Amino acid sequence: MSTEHPPIEPIVTPYQMRFLDETQLSALQSATLAVLETVGVQFPSKQALAIFAEHGAAVDHETQVVRIPRDLVYKAMSTVPRYPVLGARDPALDIHTQEGMTFFTNDGCGHQTVDFRTGEHRSSTKADLVMMARIEDYLSAISFFWTIVSAQDCGFTSSLHEIEVAWNNCSKHYQSVTLLGAERCRYGVEMATVLRGSREEIRVRPPLSMICCSIAPLIQDKDAIEGALVFAEAGLPVVFMSMPTLGTTAPATYAGALAIGDAEVISATVLMQLASPGAPVFHSILHAWADPRTAAYVGYPLDSRARYAPVEIAHHWGMPCLGGAFGTESAELDSWQSAAEIATDPLLVALAGAEIVTGIGLRDTYTLLYPEAILLDADLYHRARYALMEMEVRPETLALEAIKKVGPGGHFLSQKHTRTHMRTALVRAITHQLDADNKYRPPRDVAREKVTWILENHHPEPLENAIQQELARIIKAATLELER
Amino acid sequence: MTACQTPQLQPITPSYRLRLLSDEQLDDFQSASLEILEEVGIHCPSDKALKIYAENGARVDFNTQIVKFPQQIVLNAIAHAPRHYTMGARAADFDLYLDGKHFYCTTDGCGTEVIDFITRERRASRKEDVAQMARVADYLPSIGFYWPMVSAQDFPAIAPLHELEASFNNTIKHIQTETVMDELMAHYAVEMAKIIAGSEATQRARPPLSSLVCAIAPLAQDKGGMEAALVFAEAGLPVGFMSMANAGSTSPATISGTLVVADAEIVAAMVLIQMAYPGAPIYHSMMPGIMHPRTGAYLATPWEGQLPYAIGVELAHRWGVPTLSGIFGTDATIPGWQSAAEAAANLLLCALVGADTGAGLGLLESCTVLYPEAVILDSDIYHQIRVEARGIDTSREAMALDVIRAVGPRGHFLRHKHTREHLRKLELSDLCAQPDPMGGYRDPVELARERVNWILENHFPQPLSQEEQTELRHVIKTAEREFEAA
Repeated sequence: MSTEHPPIEPIVTPYQMRFLDETQLSALQSATLAVLETVGVQFPSKQALAIFAEHGAAVDHETQVVRIPRDLVYKAMSTVPRYPVLGARDPALDIHTQEGMTFFTNDGCGHQTVDFRTGEHRSSTKADLVMMARIEDYLSAISFFWTIVSAQDCGFTSSLHEIEVAWNNCSKHYQSVTLLGAERCRYGVEMATVLRGSREEIRVRPPLSMICCSIAPLIQDKDAIEGALVFAEAGLPVVFMSMPTLGTTAPATYAGALAIGDAEVISATVLMQLASPGAPVFHSILHAWADPRTAAYVGYPLDSRARYAPVEIAHHWGMPCLGGAFGTESAELDSWQSAAEIATDPLLVALAGAEIVTGIGLRDTYTLLYPEAILLDADLYHRARYALMEMEVRPETLALEAIKKVGPGGHFLSQKHTRTHMRTALVRAITHQLDADNKYRPPRDVAREKVTWILENHHPEPLENAIQQELARIIKAATLELER
Repeated sequence: MTACQTPQLQPITPSYRLRLLSDEQLDDFQSASLEILEEVGIHCPSDKALKIYAENGARVDFNTQIVKFPQQIVLNAIAHAPRHYTMGARAADFDLYLDGKHFYCTTDGCGTEVIDFITRERRASRKEDVAQMARVADYLPSIGFYWPMVSAQDFPAIAPLHELEASFNNTIKHIQTETVMDELMAHYAVEMAKIIAGSEATQRARPPLSSLVCAIAPLAQDKGGMEAALVFAEAGLPVGFMSMANAGSTSPATISGTLVVADAEIVAAMVLIQMAYPGAPIYHSMMPGIMHPRTGAYLATPWEGQLPYAIGVELAHRWGVPTLSGIFGTDATIPGWQSAAEAAANLLLCALVGADTGAGLGLLESCTVLYPEAVILDSDIYHQIRVEARGIDTSREAMALDVIRAVGPRGHFLRHKHTREHLRKLELSDLCAQPDPMGGYRDPVELARERVNWILENHFPQPLSQEEQTELRHVIKTAEREFEAA
């Protein structure tokens, strides 16, 4: 019953844009160093404080604020790997991060679903995650899988259920957006070990990674950071993400918000490298703005210039980066706004050179799942992918012989060159699918039909029975321990 | 009704530049165009143009009307074309400086149907629509100059001149016509431009009118269009040449091959103008499409459709002339997800490669149908790109280190003076971030409709003097008589 999935299609481009110059990047890095050294970051974790103290950081155990001398920052940052691997179940789908390639994933972690069959607006469930894992296994735009919605019907161990769902229904790398706490992360490592067969193997081709979010301004979350330490020790990659909001949890100037965000990410990265030198980590700043009239979170104001400056900041530190794209504020599936806000994102983030990028497929600021939205966003993704592909200028594509044969006022329909190339000349977008009357179909209908087709026809290879049973046993044990 | 001030233009001024083609690839394209012009040539059905080509060293076959160009003849002619010049407006503040630093955009043009402003019924376009949209365009800082957006089909004999009258009367911005396609009509259009400019010197230094002429792919010219272009060029009005070669039918089924055909068409026309009037302001405009293999339709926005527009900009600059790039132009039938999805990335790419001008905001269904609110929606995307392409401030004040120190971990920035000062400067979208009374945001499309209505009720640009208005009417009357007699 299992079917093949198409290969992943990352954005591969010879083009690169620099939004910040060396002076600006140095000024931003100096600001981060000054914040780390003089203001510090709060780590409400005894384990983290002890690691910092052992390595010479200025730790105030009362306030839990750590001030990090710049020499210690530089020393720790020197062991960060520049191009980590994100392993998949299927080795052909492993992600080898590298210059000139950008790999995308879906958005996460939504908590509401518009039911595909009934249209009902309801809380997300494990079944939604199963459905989306299968759809995403099929989509070439999706290089790895994020927790697109939360399995809210699975209680305390939902994040472990989500791992099981991901591997059972999708052959790609899984990056958890919901794993928190040292205990759950230990179970996560255990599950990865079962999948790969040994601790050594999970270091070489880690099938699981996690997002660790800080709290702006300048605070780390105890559960997140202690979970990250477990992953780092096991060699599983961790993405450190800061989400500063201009005007509330960060200064109302973009550069100031970047300084706060970068200081949070770098402080966590330093901790990981002190505890487990060489641990694979990613840098990520997903900044937003506060609406001065409502205090609401605004991801797409008119002025979001140098949106992908964080990618350059990460690279200036020698770190790989997770860029943020596609998080429209529109709650509608296919409104003008849901495309207008985000359409340049995949183009800009790839030009900036981000190694990995979230988040295709949610609406209403990362919270609402329409299962068919991922097809619309994937269309925007492929538009950017084609726009950034290297242009082929060679005798065959310049077609001088065909042009000479046709001459002025003719047509190219009967040329062999046309027959050879016409099949590949038009790459149809979702907007150019014809109906029986040769009229273009509404993109939303095409997207819904594709979802139905994938769900009926695409069945990724399930995990071996023995592994499935072992994973179920781990989740059961975790449930018993964590719910106690 | 009193005159209102027209808001200042906000061109896109990118801080960043992108190069899509290497020098070697640009050389390959230029050599390919030269080879086609020399060996295949172009078809030119105008005796007047053929004579000019022949007198200036091109190889002309007057029987077949085919012109072939020795390479050096092309290079010599194009060498006279100015890379930078000014396109004038009624008021000097609204002049467009094609200086390689600014990117000015215009509306789309020559639509044939309109969703009625009041009844929302779909109907044929009229002169009044050209006038109404000129007022809307006058108000929008995103619109640097105006293309008459639809055709004045209620005046079929000399519609292009009525479109110009409606435009000059309702916006103080530069006008570019894409419908004046014969010599006689062009003389009247130049007359109208003279009235607006006030003097021959102003007309040449700050021309208030320019023109766009389309080639016929593959490798052919339109008699009326080329003869009209010569009239404009003689008067010092900028004239541009556009190719809309369609991959698979009127050009080869590869992007590169399509660009070669299109570039050769444009260059042949530009050469004619430089031979006749060396130094005349011209521009290059590449708007190719891809043929839908099942319907034969011209598609501007498939997945690979965006790249040729931006590459067209690089080819224009390689020839040393400014460009009019293709932007927006959605194939969608209503303003919605598709119209935004197809537009944004292309505008960004054209801005980053350094386009000088671009058309067109505001039409749907492949540049044919006017929804009045579409230009407002497209303007929002325009401003998003305009701001994205600007630089970021990394001054000490912007990095706010003292503020971060004062707040420290676990604080907030709400009551800080720095926050109050800078939060006010935040540019929010006029359409996507307008709160409704229920705590959510209002529907952008509904807001766009309200905005059009507001502009039409409130914005009345500085009118032309009574004398100028009378003179324009006089030109129209004279032209009507002459065309009716013909």
